[in-house]
Amino acid sequence: MTALVVAGLSAREVSRRRTAVLLVISLPLWFYLVRRDQTGQSIRMLSLGIGWSISTLTLFVMNASRGVDPRLRLNGASVAGLVSGRLLAMSGAGALLALGYWALISLDQRVPHPFAAGLIMLLAALVAAPFGSLVGALLPRELEGALALLSVCAVQMLADPAGLVAKLMPFWSIREIGTYAVDDTGIDYLWRGLTHFAVVWIVCTAGTLAVFAHRLRIAHYPEP
Amino acid sequence: MSWPERFLAELVRLGVQQARARRLTEDTAAQAAEQACDPGGLFGPPHLYARHLVAELAAPVAAPPRFTQAGPVLLNLTGVGKRYRRRTVFDNVDLTVRGGEVAAVVGANGCGKSTLLRICAGLTRPDAGQVRRTRRVGYVPQDGGTAGWLTADEHFTLFGAAAGVVPRRARSTGAHLAARLAWRPEPAQRAQQLSGGTRQKLNLVLGELHAPDLLLLDEPYQGFDQGTYVDFWRQVHSWRDAGRAVVVVTHLLHDLSTVDHVLDLGEQR
Repeated sequence: MTALVVAGLSAREVSRRRTAVLLVISLPLWFYLVRRDQTGQSIRMLSLGIGWSISTLTLFVMNASRGVDPRLRLNGASVAGLVSGRLLAMSGAGALLALGYWALISLDQRVPHPFAAGLIMLLAALVAAPFGSLVGALLPRELEGALALLSVCAVQMLADPAGLVAKLMPFWSIREIGTYAVDDTGIDYLWRGLTHFAVVWIVCTAGTLAVFAHRLRIAHYPEP
Repeated sequence: MSWPERFLAELVRLGVQQARARRLTEDTAAQAAEQACDPGGLFGPPHLYARHLVAELAAPVAAPPRFTQAGPVLLNLTGVGKRYRRRTVFDNVDLTVRGGEVAAVVGANGCGKSTLLRICAGLTRPDAGQVRRTRRVGYVPQDGGTAGWLTADEHFTLFGAAAGVVPRRARSTGAHLAARLAWRPEPAQRAQQLSGGTRQKLNLVLGELHAPDLLLLDEPYQGFDQGTYVDFWRQVHSWRDAGRAVVVVTHLLHDLSTVDHVLDLGEQR
């Protein structure tokens, strides 16, 4: 129950920050519009924009909960309940954003695999939530966390996609599945992308849980 | 001579050590500043207040009227110490609080009052000594501890869910506890829109929402007006009379006459 309540209230909390929500929604659009003339590039950049937006939003949500979480732990909440509730809310917000942009792409672009184009946006959002939370867990101050996200997204954009550096970045799956969706390459691109997504998602989620389990640990004293 | 200088001189004359007298003078000046009052207006003549204070700190605390006898031990600290790097914050702290008792933790700024309370809660680990405490504990931090974009009702739901209380019951319990502090939460008002005093009321209600046996309160009355301050102490005494144990961090020295134990961390150093 805790996870669902945390998810619902986190979503409500975010929805009240109207300007932030507007910026989160519009950021991927600017990425898309600057490369709109090139189908493949525009979709990849849009997906990366979704990933950046959602990871930044998750980072701030995680940081905003720092004062409340220790008290919730004392009241009996589990670390898994708190973390999964927030990840659920941010993943849901990301999925909605991806759905909206998929509708836009469907109207504005022609690609050989439109569902795969939607899939990369969804996966970008789904991997961004645990990635943003892991960065928030490791760098609890907002400025440092935001700069770290900026660095990762910049490297992801600029690195040679065939090189090792790009593969170590969290959004490499976008490029691989994007190549399948837009350039109609073999299905192995899709599987490689899905595998990369699954590995990054598991590593980021497990890392977030581990850091928060350490930070929110409560000393269990014997009863008098 | 100014009021603080005369107060300091009188404390020294009454046998208080120079360093301790200076800390007490600073605390007293801070209290007056918090109330935006001149110390003379708040405490009266310095020599009388100095005598009152020395008597309060030296004498065993008079038992306030109570309706229940002290119950089982709910918090026991034995030889507890905390260091940050090479600096010893406090050492060898002993405290036992039973159900139906109120303990006050006093001391100068930076002497580790909040750290001690976090150790009691289990949020910070002691470097030395042993802590034993009851499982059900409520903790009210000095500041923070709420989510700025959520309303009071949403806080009740969230904290209730953490304790396994269904949302409707958590909200009605929260509203009931708020009413005891003469506060009726506005449905659409977010925590960040509340005044400092009202946010502290929300903090108090959240600490008590799951009916803990032991309440740990870190200067919970900051921003309270006089009426709310009186309501707060009435509430503390009603918790005590219900058999709960309460530990309050305070620097308001006149609170000490209404508690069962005083732990002066300044004296531990």
